[in-house]
Amino acid sequence: MKTIARDRNVLTLIGLLVIGVFAAFGVRDVVVLDLLFTLLIYAVLGQSWNWISGYGGNISFGHAIFFGCGAYAAAIATARFGISPWFAFPLGAAVAAVLALAVGYPTFALRGHYFSIATIAVGALVETFVKTQPYLGRANGFELPIANGFAALQFTEKWPYVLLALALFAIAQAATIGLERSRLGYYLRALRANYGAAASVGIDERRWKLIAFAGSAVLASAAGVLYAQYTLFVDPSSTLALPISIDIALVGVVGGIGTVWGPPVGALVYVFLAKAVALKLGGAGKGYDLVIYGALIVAIAAVRPSGIVGAAIEALRRRRAVREAGG
Amino acid sequence: MEQTIDVFAQLLVSGLLAGLLFALVAVGLTLVYGVMDVVNFAHGEFLMLAMYAAFGLALLGLQPLVALPLVVIAMFFFGIVVYRLFIRRLLAGPPEATVFGTFGLLVLLQGLAQALFTSDFFSIPNRPFAQTLHFGSVSVGAAAIVEGIGALVLTGALFAFVEYTETGRALRAVSEDRIAATLMGIDVGRMNAVAFGIGAACVGAAGTLLMLSYPVYPRVGADFALTAFVVVALGGFGSVQGALVGALLVGVLEVFGGFYLAPEIKMVPVYLAYLVVVLVRPQGLLGRR
Amino acid sequence: MSEPILRVRGLTKQFGSLRALDGVDLDVTAGALTGLIGPNGAGKSTAFGCIAGALKPSGGSILFAGTEIAGMAYHRVAHLGIGRTYQVVQTFADMTVLEATTTGALMRHPRVVDATAVAEEILSFVGLADKRRQLGRALTIADKKRLEVARALAIEPQLLLLDEVMAGLTPRESQAAVVLLRAILARGITILMVEHVMEVLMPIADHVVVIAAGRTIFTGDARAAVRDPAVIEAYLGPRAAALHG
Repeated sequence: MKTIARDRNVLTLIGLLVIGVFAAFGVRDVVVLDLLFTLLIYAVLGQSWNWISGYGGNISFGHAIFFGCGAYAAAIATARFGISPWFAFPLGAAVAAVLALAVGYPTFALRGHYFSIATIAVGALVETFVKTQPYLGRANGFELPIANGFAALQFTEKWPYVLLALALFAIAQAATIGLERSRLGYYLRALRANYGAAASVGIDERRWKLIAFAGSAVLASAAGVLYAQYTLFVDPSSTLALPISIDIALVGVVGGIGTVWGPPVGALVYVFLAKAVALKLGGAGKGYDLVIYGALIVAIAAVRPSGIVGAAIEALRRRRAVREAGG
Repeated sequence: MEQTIDVFAQLLVSGLLAGLLFALVAVGLTLVYGVMDVVNFAHGEFLMLAMYAAFGLALLGLQPLVALPLVVIAMFFFGIVVYRLFIRRLLAGPPEATVFGTFGLLVLLQGLAQALFTSDFFSIPNRPFAQTLHFGSVSVGAAAIVEGIGALVLTGALFAFVEYTETGRALRAVSEDRIAATLMGIDVGRMNAVAFGIGAACVGAAGTLLMLSYPVYPRVGADFALTAFVVVALGGFGSVQGALVGALLVGVLEVFGGFYLAPEIKMVPVYLAYLVVVLVRPQGLLGRR
Repeated sequence: MSEPILRVRGLTKQFGSLRALDGVDLDVTAGALTGLIGPNGAGKSTAFGCIAGALKPSGGSILFAGTEIAGMAYHRVAHLGIGRTYQVVQTFADMTVLEATTTGALMRHPRVVDATAVAEEILSFVGLADKRRQLGRALTIADKKRLEVARALAIEPQLLLLDEVMAGLTPRESQAAVVLLRAILARGITILMVEHVMEVLMPIADHVVVIAAGRTIFTGDARAAVRDPAVIEAYLGPRAAALHG
């Protein structure tokens, strides 16, 4: 049996973290640091989406609401209650988990696309709700008060944010590596493979998917808290709107669903393409990046639904199986 | 008291007319699902495409009602092409493949629209049927009536097609039992393509009619798509009659909601209705599965 | 005689206008192998599905170890101690043999480490240990069936339901299967087997239940079953019964 220390995934993660720490301390260019931060946040969001949509097989088009939970929790904590935004982590997580349970409970018991459509409907409901609440800043949103220091989770420089994002990324990846090896991981795979046979070995689909979904929501919420503390501004269009949900799903699909490294690869592709398009075409480029993502997803879905990383893993698996069968 | 009845009648008429249009949008979606078990998440974007097409034709001097047959035919063939090139491949993969695939199509089409036409809102110049008609105490825009009647006629034509023609019967057969249909000699692949084409054609008609009173912009599809999903779920996935009933209900709900609640939250009752359906009767009002 | 571990009374199942089961009675004795057979369309698979929890019966009672399980949720039936295989193998295609079996073992052993150990033992028991890293989709039919048995055994059931497990096996494979079934019985697990062909059950079944047209028409031992006129009639028609009797 492979020990943790020799696991390829863990080693890759540690390697990336080392690089990341060096980058955070070494890079002075603000634009690059900003890119890094965005990249890491999207990687975490994509990974959270991956738990329920990739491993679970229930595609969510409303993940932005969990991201928004964290962001608004941070904003409310600091701007309305004057308490440390660190409280936003558990607060946002709690609300996000409750939302996830509410959406998942009726829909995971049904076959078909009810879940996916429900995520769109609830996403629209939450966005509309926030837009009508003056307490939540309505459609215009509101700003977070300026502060400084670790306790206030605000810094004048960018590199501490990148470090924190890196930490969150590490947690997300480690949790996903753990997920794959856990009972939940096995059960999700079995459910995706054959839900009837899974039930015949005692797997309660709804229970396990709810766990995965709630975990996914909490992770996305944490990313939202960091994001709010970074931009110091929250509004529905940047945290709750359908396009945000679509972006999150995009990152998850392009990289490879149901794999540990899919979302980070997807985030890389996403951020890289967005930047490249913006550089080449400026404002007029809006839409071209979507065309490329869309074309990528269409191609991947038609040829190999498991995405970039998934394709690589399948190729590796086949080679190993051939070796083992012949040896 | 008389005033409330007047208001009620007004809202009801507006709601039903809107509902008829939703029906035309939703009927294509539910037909595709019934025949091949695919929810086309890019359905809204097909609507958007049709609207841009109608707008383009209007700029060339073709009024929407005149352009209607052209857009419908073009969208029909567009649907067939999309099926043959793409959807067919998705059907061979795992069930999530159709969700991802149509999602990718959604992103691609929206991106194309944004890149080619920018995010600006475009309305048809010199809109016909701009007058308001009065029937007793009820006032309705002429455009709304034309849209509603047009939608009713086309939806009725679709019903007749599905009910009385041989292709329609074949579609129903595939919808009910794919394997049995194959055994009866029906070419399921061809039926899939036809269904997808019809779905696109319906949305093409709806989009053209919509241009009588709506602007087109890249995200317009997303707004209507969710309503279409709710209608289909309410009526029952796969049931064409259910889509009509569901659409009328949703239309009325939306109009009443817009009046009695604030206009920004007029869609809330509709979304809540979806969640209620999921909780109480997932198969919808007229659904089988 | 000890109390039967499974007692089915008056089981009915209606599919729309089709009455697939019209009163099936069935007793399964603990520790023994009971065969459930009948001609095509008799309702064997339907009855099987109801007992396993995959189908909800329209009426009747299914008592398993004293608990009423008719209509119980599918996964809960597994938790109570009933394992099953499928007539058309439902393999976890992209999981390895070991992973699939571990999935089953996780029901009673929540820790993956423990479950894997249990799975390894079961794979040795059924003879798939050397194929543990092969993907489900890459196995032969006989091995897929073996894996299905392993997966069902992994939940440590008291009752194992086998759905036409002998179908499609070569004579040698069938012999190996019989050996395995005897080994399972030796572990104290009760077996209820659905089979289409009588000869297969003769050497191993302690007890046989014959159903036709949704009803039980015979219970007793296998040798008596082949001589019973009602059974002959169900399989071969009324004239054959007259000839034989």
